[in-house]
Amino acid sequence: MNLQIDIKENTNENLVSLSGEIDVYTVPKLKEELLPLTEEQNKNIIVDLSGVHYIDSTGLGVFIGALKSADQSGSHLKITGVNSRVRRLFTITGLDEVIDIEVNEREEA
Amino acid sequence: MEKTKLSMYQLYKDMLDNYLQSKSEHALYAAQQFSKEMMEKDMSPEEMVSLHMSVFQEMVPDLPEEVVDSFDLLLEVMIGYGLAYREHQSLRDRQQQLESELNVAAEMQQTLLPDEHIDAKGIDFGVISVPAGKMSGDYYHYIQDEHGCIGVAVADVIGKGVPAAMCMSMIKYAMESIPEQRLQPAALLESLNRVVERNIDSNMFITMVYGSYDPRDHRFYYAGAGHEPGFYYSASKDTFEELTTKGLVLGLSQKVTYEEYVKDVQPGDFFVLLSDGVTECRTEEDFIEREQITEMIRKYQHLPAQDIVNRVYRELEKMQDFQLRDDFTLLILKRDV
Amino acid sequence: MQVQTHVDIHSEWGIVAARQAGRKLAREIGFGSVDQARVTTAISELARNIYLYANKGQIHIEEATSSGKRGIKIIATDEGPGIKDVRRVMEDGYTTSGGLGAGLPGVKRLMDEFKIDSEPDEGTTITTVKWLR
Repeated sequence: MNLQIDIKENTNENLVSLSGEIDVYTVPKLKEELLPLTEEQNKNIIVDLSGVHYIDSTGLGVFIGALKSADQSGSHLKITGVNSRVRRLFTITGLDEVIDIEVNEREEA
Repeated sequence: MEKTKLSMYQLYKDMLDNYLQSKSEHALYAAQQFSKEMMEKDMSPEEMVSLHMSVFQEMVPDLPEEVVDSFDLLLEVMIGYGLAYREHQSLRDRQQQLESELNVAAEMQQTLLPDEHIDAKGIDFGVISVPAGKMSGDYYHYIQDEHGCIGVAVADVIGKGVPAAMCMSMIKYAMESIPEQRLQPAALLESLNRVVERNIDSNMFITMVYGSYDPRDHRFYYAGAGHEPGFYYSASKDTFEELTTKGLVLGLSQKVTYEEYVKDVQPGDFFVLLSDGVTECRTEEDFIEREQITEMIRKYQHLPAQDIVNRVYRELEKMQDFQLRDDFTLLILKRDV
Repeated sequence: MQVQTHVDIHSEWGIVAARQAGRKLAREIGFGSVDQARVTTAISELARNIYLYANKGQIHIEEATSSGKRGIKIIATDEGPGIKDVRRVMEDGYTTSGGLGAGLPGVKRLMDEFKIDSEPDEGTTITTVKWLR
């Protein structure tokens, strides 16, 4: 399975749209693309997971790395478009309490 | 060496001769067998081309110049293939070496897991843990103190394979350094979290569920750090209930507090702890639902705990065509009487 | 008298010239066609490495003798950036050029003796010999 990464850079906001699966195989590529964005000073990084139907634990690891790095550079990480399966993962791990996740009612694709 | 070259030359000549006269499948089959023998003798493609050419030239002395010369080009091209072939052989050797190193490491990892059995009156205990590869990022633990109190845990390091396995050993040593908290799940997770946070890469984390059972008052205390929820089976109600816990994964931030939960345990009640390798099992087209797992457990629930976990594992393994995508750990603690 | 050839490498033409000189000497020494092609491929790879990583350098080809044996010796020198991690480039499966190159492990396999000296920022010298059997 593949992961498509689409990045739109604006002056104070970076929008990262993902679609596909985030797992052991696609994580290195995601890390390479996402982490530099979180190192920029005082930006909003919005990660849209609308096209993502599966994340495994290594995928969550990338978001944790991104969160830490965004905090350090005074930026803000926000995740949107999570489906119920993905949201469950964020809830179980307690990450929904530390990462800003926009809850919208999207049904399972 | 020279002698084998000579006999190869003769062998190939006979074969080619035979084929040119008979054009038979039999002769071609002989050639296929010959190629296996040549590979065993480490004969490279370019040597094969050269052998063919010299044999052919002897058999047909008046070959047109173009035919003879064209083999120069083929030979040159074959050198590259020959190198790739040798590289392949050496990489294969190295892979074997790595494999045996991994086998040793996997054996060492096995020694990190508890090996004595839980032998307490009125308690039935079973656990199975199978890595997806050679090494596991799952960890389980159980311990029994002098009062018969039992501590059980399942932990899952993010990812799998060697990096996860290295992290797993940290959990084991960290737990050993805080023996006094063995029966206080929330406090234990808080201490572990501090150790893990200091020693782990920023992309890594560990999830864990810890429970302790006190047979004197039949209470089960538990706490979880971002771990896949287990199940609690109530015999009187004949239902499975999610063993939900609220708490952040280990290793993310220094100061985290964990909530501790408690359940009164009746005879026949049991607890199921698992890693996400169990619930994230994937068949060809779909994920396995959590209800399917409780149904399987229900099917075998008349059996001893160890047999239940073994059978559930075997069934899930089969559903996934015997390919585990993630490390798998399933643990059951049951009150018999 | 020993035959020695010196070819400057600063373009792909140099690579071809070095191949040509190497094949000629290998034939004169008495190597068979397979070994001629191997020696030539080794020279090719060494010359390409010079061309790709150091821009320029030399390939030196001569007849080698040692206790009754005859062979061909190739010395490749450049004053390029050098190799930071020799052990790494000598590993199978590691190719930085991506140019379908056999790389240095390939050269080592094609030849009988192989010696490499490399200092970062000073350059690289590779000496390699193939003996006549």
